[in-house]
Amino acid sequence: MMRSKHIIGVFDDEFNLVRAVEEIRGKKIIIEEVYTPYPVQEVIHAMGKRSRLQIVAYFYGLFGALAVLAFLYWTSVISWPINYGGKPFNSFPSFIIITIILTILVVTIGSLATFSGRARLWPGKKHRMYDARATDDKFVIVLNESEAGAEGLATAESIMKGNGALEIRKEEPEDE
Amino acid sequence: MYNRDVRGPLIIGEKTFGQISTEILAPAEKKPGKWWFAMMTLATLASAWGIYSIYITVSRGIGTWGVNNTVGWGWAIINFVWWIGIGHAGTAFSIFLLILRQKWRTSINRAAEAMTVFAVGCAAIFPALHMGRVWLAFFIIPYPNTRGPLWVNFNSPLFWDFIAISAYLLISFSFWYLGMLPDFATIRDRSRSRLRKVLYGFFSMGWVGSSRQWLRFESLAFILGGIAAVLVVSVHSIVSTDFAVAVEPGWHSTLFPPFFVVGAIFSGFAMVMTLMIIIRGIYKLKDYVTDGHLDAIARILVFISLIMGTAYATEVFMAWYSGSEYEIFTFFRNRVTGEHALQFWGMIICNALIPQLFWFRKIRRNLPLMFIISLCINLGMWLERYIIVITSLSKDYLPSAWTSYAPTWVEVGTYVGTLGIFVSGILLFFRYIPIIAVSEVKSVRDIGKRKYD
Repeated sequence: MMRSKHIIGVFDDEFNLVRAVEEIRGKKIIIEEVYTPYPVQEVIHAMGKRSRLQIVAYFYGLFGALAVLAFLYWTSVISWPINYGGKPFNSFPSFIIITIILTILVVTIGSLATFSGRARLWPGKKHRMYDARATDDKFVIVLNESEAGAEGLATAESIMKGNGALEIRKEEPEDE
Repeated sequence: MYNRDVRGPLIIGEKTFGQISTEILAPAEKKPGKWWFAMMTLATLASAWGIYSIYITVSRGIGTWGVNNTVGWGWAIINFVWWIGIGHAGTAFSIFLLILRQKWRTSINRAAEAMTVFAVGCAAIFPALHMGRVWLAFFIIPYPNTRGPLWVNFNSPLFWDFIAISAYLLISFSFWYLGMLPDFATIRDRSRSRLRKVLYGFFSMGWVGSSRQWLRFESLAFILGGIAAVLVVSVHSIVSTDFAVAVEPGWHSTLFPPFFVVGAIFSGFAMVMTLMIIIRGIYKLKDYVTDGHLDAIARILVFISLIMGTAYATEVFMAWYSGSEYEIFTFFRNRVTGEHALQFWGMIICNALIPQLFWFRKIRRNLPLMFIISLCINLGMWLERYIIVITSLSKDYLPSAWTSYAPTWVEVGTYVGTLGIFVSGILLFFRYIPIIAVSEVKSVRDIGKRKYD
């Protein structure tokens, strides 16, 4: 599973972690991943990833709204028009309510599905953790040699030490 | 409304993160006390009576209820609106406060959302039964069918209601579940028992707490929060159009949507207060659900109570000001005075007057009194729905069609049954799910303390 050498730094304080992550990133060393028990904005920011979920959700909403309106128009005007006291078949104002609610539903289902795919979370998924305490009370930085380079690993190790890492472990590659 | 200098610390005491996990997860990791089994037995008995009543309703028909040609909506619709109202607070709580970035929500949102899911589930039972032939309930789904195709009436508020409630149930459940992923992972990783590791591992969906997961988690939470905020306002507005669209004295009013939404949030927040006092008392979570939290809920309640009082006054004033003799009759002869005056004044006292006690700091610190007031509010909100449904229907335009209404034991049984289902749901929630959002509480641990500044 592990193809290259890993170095794992464990912290028990958010502020030390943030300093370490920012310093390592400042030296342009690639961090494989940071595991935290709760979202730490500075870390998410320093990792340089951005989520495009909002943009995707906007398009789900656009699609949902148009699809629902089209469906209502089709059923009420084309497929089986019914005359309610001479009112227009396309009763647009009263279609808006259903459109809003179903648009919300489409956005929710779409975003959940996208989230599940992108964050790789689904029922019963097997997971792998470098340190199981990261969901409880520890903050964990993981770097690997193929991304960070041997020199990067050494620098990162000294930065983590300098910022009060609780423990630093090395994991050698497993033979496969 | 509340910045942290005013509010003080959100979590009392110097706690390590491990301590927070241990203290909050204790109810989910230990065997429950005797009270839990006693309550569960009671709730199961109540549910059993409810299920028997539902069986009678389904096998013999709506004729077993007290409803008749004139009063076509009885306890079933009263209870439906009541439960949906209670169900509003969970979402209102976590979502409005999430969008406003009110950090004090973190100790309360989990329980409030649980309450929402169970309450909306209970509510959905009533309109389904009210359809009469519940086994044909799927006719309301607009799918291409062999009956024409005969589409449902897309202009009917009753259909809007069906759509709104189904969507609301699904979305509030997703939002609730999403928040639980990190906490299930915490239970999974702390647990030594194999069974718990497998079970909570399955439900945590492979959560590891990586920065990539947190990034997407946060952006999904904001998307769901943002759109569900619209839903909070729209669902009960739609419920109100069930009434407001009908040309009945006392119903046909543009005041109804905001009046219903505010009333819903009122009863829901009262139920949140009831629940939080119980959680605080039984599970010794005083450091997480602090006096400050309950104080904040009480302040919101006093504010909403003023809106409710204004709404009641507006209704009565508009009935007189409209000059419509039917409106005047409904409000002055059939609500303020007359057969239902007791329920009307009960509603005014419980909803508009008693919550005014929360102006006093002493009362906002007195837990038993707060507990009683929060129950009073939900009683008052039930009476409000009773007044709306029964007075308008039983005596409308044609005196020859006037009649009175009393529920049969089947209707009472169904209501008690939903109470039982709700309580057993909440008890299971106490037992198996972290009552407070552990990961969120960890993120606000240092707020309001010197270390943070």
